Amino acid sequence: MAVFQLAEWTAMAPALILAGTALALFVFDSISPHSTNRSLLAGTAAGGALASLAVAVWFIVAGVGTPTVDGGLGEITVLSDQFVVDQMALYFMIIVAIVTALIVVASYDYLVGHAYQAEYYSLVVLAATGMSMMAAANSLVTIFIALELASLPSYALVAILKDNRGSVEAGLKYFLIGALSSAIFLYGISLVYGATGHLQLDNIAEVIAAGDADPYGGLLGLGILMLIGGFAFKTASVPFHFWAPDAYEGAPAPISGFLSSASKAAGFVILFRVFTEAFPLGDQMNALIGFDWTVAFIILAIVTMTVGNFAAATQNNVKRMLAYSSIGHAGYALIGVAGLSADGGELVMGAAMMHLLVYGFMNTGAFLFVALAEHWGVGRTFEDYNGLSRQAPIACAAMAVFMFSLAGIPPFGGFFSKFFLFMGALEASAANTAMLAVAAALVVNSALSLYYYSRLVKALWIEEPATTRDRLARPTGLYAAIVVAAVMTVLILPGFGPVVDAALDAAVAALG
Amino acid sequence: MEGAFSYAPAIAAFPLAAFVVALTFGKWMPRKGAIAGIAATAGSLLFSLWMLAAVASGEVYHETLYEWTAGEAAGEVGDGIEFTFGILIDPLSALMLVIVSLVAFLVHIFSLGYMNAEGETGLPRYYAGLGLFTFSMLAFVYADNLLMAFMFFELVGLCSYLLIGFWFRTRSAPSAAKKAFLVTRFGDYFFLIGVVAIAATFGTVAFAGDDSFVAAAETAIADGDTLFGFDAQTWVTITGLLVLGGVLGKSAQFPFHTWLPDAMEGPTTVSALIHAATMVAAGVYLVARMFGYYALSPTALAIIAFVGGFTALFAATMGVVKDDIKQVLAYSTISQYGYMMLGLGVGGYVAGVFHLMNHAFFKALLFLGAGAVIILMHHEQDMWKMGGLKEKAPVTYYTFLAGALALAGIIPFSGFWSKDEILYDALIVGLNEPVIMAAYAMGLVAVFFTGFYTFRMVFLTFHGEPRSEAAEDPHPVGWAVKVPLLTLGVLALVAGVANLAPVAKILGVDIVFLEHWLDGEYGAVEGLTYSAYGELLAYETGVIGSEQLTILVAAGLSLLLAFSGAGLAWKLYNVPEPVAHKERLGSARRTIENNYYQDEYQVWLARGFTLPLSRAADRFDQTVIDGSVNGISTASLFGSSWVKRLQTGIVTNYAALIVAGFIALLVFLGVYGGWF
Amino acid sequence: MTVGVEYYVLLSMALFSIGLFGVLTRRNALMFLMSVELMLNAANINLIAFAFYHGNLTGQVFALFAMALAAAEVAVGLGIILVLYRNFRDVDVTVPTTMRW
Repeated sequence: MAVFQLAEWTAMAPALILAGTALALFVFDSISPHSTNRSLLAGTAAGGALASLAVAVWFIVAGVGTPTVDGGLGEITVLSDQFVVDQMALYFMIIVAIVTALIVVASYDYLVGHAYQAEYYSLVVLAATGMSMMAAANSLVTIFIALELASLPSYALVAILKDNRGSVEAGLKYFLIGALSSAIFLYGISLVYGATGHLQLDNIAEVIAAGDADPYGGLLGLGILMLIGGFAFKTASVPFHFWAPDAYEGAPAPISGFLSSASKAAGFVILFRVFTEAFPLGDQMNALIGFDWTVAFIILAIVTMTVGNFAAATQNNVKRMLAYSSIGHAGYALIGVAGLSADGGELVMGAAMMHLLVYGFMNTGAFLFVALAEHWGVGRTFEDYNGLSRQAPIACAAMAVFMFSLAGIPPFGGFFSKFFLFMGALEASAANTAMLAVAAALVVNSALSLYYYSRLVKALWIEEPATTRDRLARPTGLYAAIVVAAVMTVLILPGFGPVVDAALDAAVAALG
Repeated sequence: MEGAFSYAPAIAAFPLAAFVVALTFGKWMPRKGAIAGIAATAGSLLFSLWMLAAVASGEVYHETLYEWTAGEAAGEVGDGIEFTFGILIDPLSALMLVIVSLVAFLVHIFSLGYMNAEGETGLPRYYAGLGLFTFSMLAFVYADNLLMAFMFFELVGLCSYLLIGFWFRTRSAPSAAKKAFLVTRFGDYFFLIGVVAIAATFGTVAFAGDDSFVAAAETAIADGDTLFGFDAQTWVTITGLLVLGGVLGKSAQFPFHTWLPDAMEGPTTVSALIHAATMVAAGVYLVARMFGYYALSPTALAIIAFVGGFTALFAATMGVVKDDIKQVLAYSTISQYGYMMLGLGVGGYVAGVFHLMNHAFFKALLFLGAGAVIILMHHEQDMWKMGGLKEKAPVTYYTFLAGALALAGIIPFSGFWSKDEILYDALIVGLNEPVIMAAYAMGLVAVFFTGFYTFRMVFLTFHGEPRSEAAEDPHPVGWAVKVPLLTLGVLALVAGVANLAPVAKILGVDIVFLEHWLDGEYGAVEGLTYSAYGELLAYETGVIGSEQLTILVAAGLSLLLAFSGAGLAWKLYNVPEPVAHKERLGSARRTIENNYYQDEYQVWLARGFTLPLSRAADRFDQTVIDGSVNGISTASLFGSSWVKRLQTGIVTNYAALIVAGFIALLVFLGVYGGWF
Repeated sequence: MTVGVEYYVLLSMALFSIGLFGVLTRRNALMFLMSVELMLNAANINLIAFAFYHGNLTGQVFALFAMALAAAEVAVGLGIILVLYRNFRDVDVTVPTTMRW
């Protein structure tokens, strides 16, 4: 196909388009710093995100990443293997682009009367660039750079409401914990480099396989653990999750949605890639560091989902509840790594990838509903949401869809991805009985999560409003984004076949 | 004719489509869904006739259409079980398809005159119910396995419930619907256990073929296997009797007959279709469908025969004292199904099916006739307020009379031939088996009562002087009422020609078409034929003198009794001003009028036994189950308030907790991995 | 005479621990930030020492990248500390605690 004739670096086009868009917005900001031409700014950003999405979809359809034996174009490596564009990279680029597009469209209304519009969009798209690059990064160098590229704009975005104490506090906490985590992460990288002498993921694996790293088992083990710390920060997993509830609560709601969906997905893709590429499971690896690293993820998965869901159960603030629920979902997605084994685990990793895609729609949608509520100024607690369905039935129906999907109730997308995770965990338990505990924790936590999700649906649809409200506005952009997210959450069910195939293919390719 | 069978699914699909159409668009349709129903059932009838013709040309159809689950789990005998939807069209099901679709078609037409013309509300619901029922019944009939049969068996029960309760604003109809549902469901529990037991035992639920449970059971008995700790024959009896629970409930046999008289609260058309001709026949049909299985167990057969004979008599006596025309017919229905059970129980497979067919026609006729009478009488059902309708409604009268003669078993109407064949089969077996003899005797006595109540009904309704204003000035009935009556009237008269077994045997002419039909002369699935069943049966038959003499004795006895019953009715009630003669029954009167206190003892059982049990279960649920659930939720919420306290809001604490968590993980993995 | 790589690692670990200690005890946001810088530089020492030890330049180059990123991080951090001061009239990181539980 046409892709063949393009230069290899064009394989990074989804990320490069985002970068270009960010720079364009930046230039615009420099020329006209006080512009409030919302349509132009949001339109440019959305256009960039959609173009990135389209290119990524085109690549995946054209067969980039599909092994050449299956008639595909194979993986494309860029900058001497620093980046690799395979199915997993494209899959996560798609997630990032979708979430970015939703967020940008919703921000069109959210930012009414707000200063620094161009700055905001520029930062969003820049962070998305970082996340998109994370999807393709194939060396600890590029991983670290991409991760920082995603993080630094995020800190600023969280704190962008400069006169809002909540936003500033959230930004501060996010930044401080982020800085600490990246220091730990970088130190972990240095230890891994010390043990193996390489930063390129496949070279690290080669060194380990050749037994050259044998004298440095402890160094490598500590390094791996520190890397896990860095990933745990990015994915908001225990114990590096502490920033998440505060940051999500204080940040502008679209940004909370952006961070909890796209940023989390990007964190997971590097987690998947590093652990499947650089530290493939096997006797050699286990002997080297003394244990099977899935143990760490089994513990993290169980603790993360339990902490997230338990803390969410008695929240009064809707946004904070969603923040904790997003920690819980990080725990679900961690099953995808916890369930890997030396001879497989495609199913469970594919399931985690599906979950992240579905989560991209339903969680972003839920946060956008909160954005809508903030736009209306109805308040933040469950009680304040009482009876909103009378004024805004469409948005509330969408919210009910998100809540039920997050809780994992059929027939919504969230049910299927969670079901696959559960089945994958059960299948993995054949190799590792501890996975049974993970599966049990998944069930228990899902049951608990239904409690607080349905509480919100009850507030929206059943409870009487505490105060009489005026007619609520219907901001086009926010509504459009919410409805699209809801429709996708529902439609992903009939379209689940391709999603399953894409995720499983990507997982198989990654596990190689 | 090969291609005919690929259209078989359409037979059931038509009424299903009618159901959907009536439900969704019925409100806006000119006849509120009637046209859709008529068209659909006409389609089903045509296709059923086509199937019948195809079977007559020697083809049969046994095809699995959809497998919805298959398991590795091995049964006691056989291996991997499959649950499928499939179609089995053999002589028996082809015949039954025609019967069901014909009666359904006629009832739909009749409904135009009975429901539409009377300006009922809720007609879309009515036609939707009829459509769903017809669909379920037809699918039940050609189900090729027990589980599929069970599902549609339940579905017809649901339709019955919905349609009995059609006039849900009255007090009695919902209560009757509930009763019908509960009583039949009680039987169905046993059926369900039976299905599971059969599936678990033989690893298959198919009716026909080499991998059917019938064949598996036969092999198991022949091999002398032990199944679940019983020898094979006993186990077959046990499972057969479990399935029989559903049969007794659906076919309203003693002791589950109590729901059927109450079910008359539904529209008369519904009574005709569901509670006389088809759904109630489902039970008997099921016995015929898996006759090979019952044939393996003489005990089960004897129980079937005895229950049948007993029910035939028992219900007939209750019919004698009823004043409501539909009640009389309801008890006669119970009684007639008793005959069919008796026939099947004594191994008279052909006789049972023959009576099933004839009864479907003449009882539908009688119910529709009763419906016509009810129209004539401005919705009065008490026979003591009728009288003298003979001259005013001749079509109704003569067709009703044809049905009555068939019901009473008067030669040459259809009912005589089939009933006589059942009694003959019972007699020849009974000569060697005392239990069967008792069943035969009860069946024979019931003939007298049948003749009596039938003609009591006819005379009170049509003869004598009008005894109310409505009877003097009846409401006219239209063509939609008359056409079905005439069609069924003709059938009630001539359907007996299908199997003139006594004539055939005495004169030695070959005019037993139904026997040949069911014996697979034209085409049949192997193992599902009359002669195949005959080989399985363990009954010895005897004769009085010679075979011809036995036939004559049996026929003579039953005719004599029928005529004497009818004659007594003629003497007592065919007078201008008939009066009740119930006081002549003396002390028995109260007992019979109260239906032998059947309802009372069942209610007593429910109150004394089921209710305390349910209360105990409820208490267990409220305290133990709910208690633990509430406990868990309280503990979770408490845990929640504790977990969220970790989030102190001070960022330095977060850093400390992160480091502490990281070190904890490090220490744990270090110890686990042997680093220290 | 060259110094063994293990001494460099010890140095960097000490530096890392000092930084971590600062992160845990310092309440001034600027001091917090400086402590994080110490931790990042500990990693840089490692990278350079290991690059020398393994005889490839990757680690050294990466250390340059890491320094640039650290500078960027400080820029963003100072911006946040600035708005923190504007809103809370303090740069004590334990003061903003409106969001908890």
